[in-house]
Amino acid sequence: MGKNTVRKAGVILLFLALWELAPLIGLVDPVFIPRFSGVVQTILELYKTGEFVQHTRISLLRAFTGLATAVVIGLPLGLLLGGWFPRIRQATEPLMELFAVANPVILAHIIIFFLGIGESAKTFIIAWLCVWPIIFSTITGIRTADESLLKAARSLGLGRWQLFRLVVLPSAAPSLFTGLRLAAGYAFIMLIAAEMMGAGSGLGWFVLQSQENYHVLRLFAGATVITFLAVLTDVSIKLLQNRFAFWNGGPAENVLEQGRWMA
Amino acid sequence: MARDADVPQQIQTDAKIVVKGITSVFHLKKTRTTPAGEFIALNDINLEVRKGEFLVLVGPSGCGKSTLLDILAGLAHPTSGGVYIDGKKVTGPALDRGIVLQGYALFPWRTVRQNVEFGLEIKKVPKQERAAISDNFIHLVGLDGFADRFPHELSGGMKQRVAIARALAYDPEVLLMDEPFAAVDAQTRESLQDELLRIWEATGKTILFVTHSIEEAVFLGDRVAVLTPNPGTLREIVKIDLPRPRHNSDTRSSAEFGWIRRKIWELLQNAPSDARPHPNAVPVADAISPTAAL
Repeated sequence: MGKNTVRKAGVILLFLALWELAPLIGLVDPVFIPRFSGVVQTILELYKTGEFVQHTRISLLRAFTGLATAVVIGLPLGLLLGGWFPRIRQATEPLMELFAVANPVILAHIIIFFLGIGESAKTFIIAWLCVWPIIFSTITGIRTADESLLKAARSLGLGRWQLFRLVVLPSAAPSLFTGLRLAAGYAFIMLIAAEMMGAGSGLGWFVLQSQENYHVLRLFAGATVITFLAVLTDVSIKLLQNRFAFWNGGPAENVLEQGRWMA
Repeated sequence: MARDADVPQQIQTDAKIVVKGITSVFHLKKTRTTPAGEFIALNDINLEVRKGEFLVLVGPSGCGKSTLLDILAGLAHPTSGGVYIDGKKVTGPALDRGIVLQGYALFPWRTVRQNVEFGLEIKKVPKQERAAISDNFIHLVGLDGFADRFPHELSGGMKQRVAIARALAYDPEVLLMDEPFAAVDAQTRESLQDELLRIWEATGKTILFVTHSIEEAVFLGDRVAVLTPNPGTLREIVKIDLPRPRHNSDTRSSAEFGWIRRKIWELLQNAPSDARPHPNAVPVADAISPTAAL
């Protein structure tokens, strides 16, 4: 783990060094891609004047409201469909899969008809995109619970609720975290899209404004902060996952870690 | 269909376990190549197990031995007949029986200790008492010092020891073991067999042990019930008079051991001709799991 972290940090540092050097040595036009140090300086200035604090706060609030809404709706729904109502799951699955791939940006324009361009439309569209991975991963987690674990537990005469709480739910934890990480990534993507479609604040709006006014440094400052926040969120969830679902990193993790086993 | 209605709820008996006229029939759905039909997994099985006895059920796959164990555990219901423990009919799973499965079935999110204490939590044993009991059983299966490890940190043999400790910890009178050592390597398997006998002698539990290994059956059992497939029938019960305590090297190399092993092998070979496995039988039997539903 320690070695892996060092390697990952090394790759990122290398990238940042390249970013710093490329405009300096004329590899790219510094007017369109400014040096990394310049971007960092701009970020610090924007926070000092207080301008960025407001945008960061509102963006984070939007992302987490949307993600939280998705969890509050998706988790119980996934548990019910995965555990108690297999018939309804079978019946609604094609529809859910269709909704999950429906283009959210187009959908957002329709949502605006009904909810306007206020906060509720943004929350709705972020939650809409995030809810599907959460529902699907919850269903998968519940349905792939180890049959022999269930048998061992049932042989003790456990009731349905005990079986669910003590065996099925913990069994689903790795898959659940995988879904949550995916959803968190979606939340930040959709957040920016929503803020660009109609808002007067937030980092997405700030980036769009900067671009329209040719403030390249500010554009990069906004993009960097957004990326940083998304990575921070992902790392936080991953830490929780390592703490609460340590026995299995979930399918996504396994794919990423496969190289380590082969090496 | 004759189900539970004509089976008495209670019988007079001195035996710990009575298996009375158990028949288990699965209904097969029609497929493209086969018509709808019935598969008789168990055909009129009658069996008695004394208190403290070590009885082994041996037979090839498809003979219904695991189905019989599921019925004993209360996880499956027979089509007709009944199972009695201390004269009382089994109607479902309960804490008077412990079960050990082939695939360990340990909870990966629980430490060794927490796995062993699982049944005690269900039994609502107070925390301090739980710790004392789990210490005791972790020691019994030789895992001192591993109490706070997680299953993924253990070898296969160690995992199965934890599973045995877990099944024993809540003090069931009967231990049901479904091919518990099938997944470990030969050497570990022999040492686990040795250890199981030691644990059995120390605890005095009644053990029902399912295996397809004749060697394992003869080494462990007081008696060996030989089952033949299609339909699953109890062919004969062979008494194993090998002296106890049994030891790996001495017992296995004795002449009687070889003789009994051969006798059971012949019983399995010379199944009546109409009871020989149908070519399609095995996949069908494997495809049916009476405990598949949550």
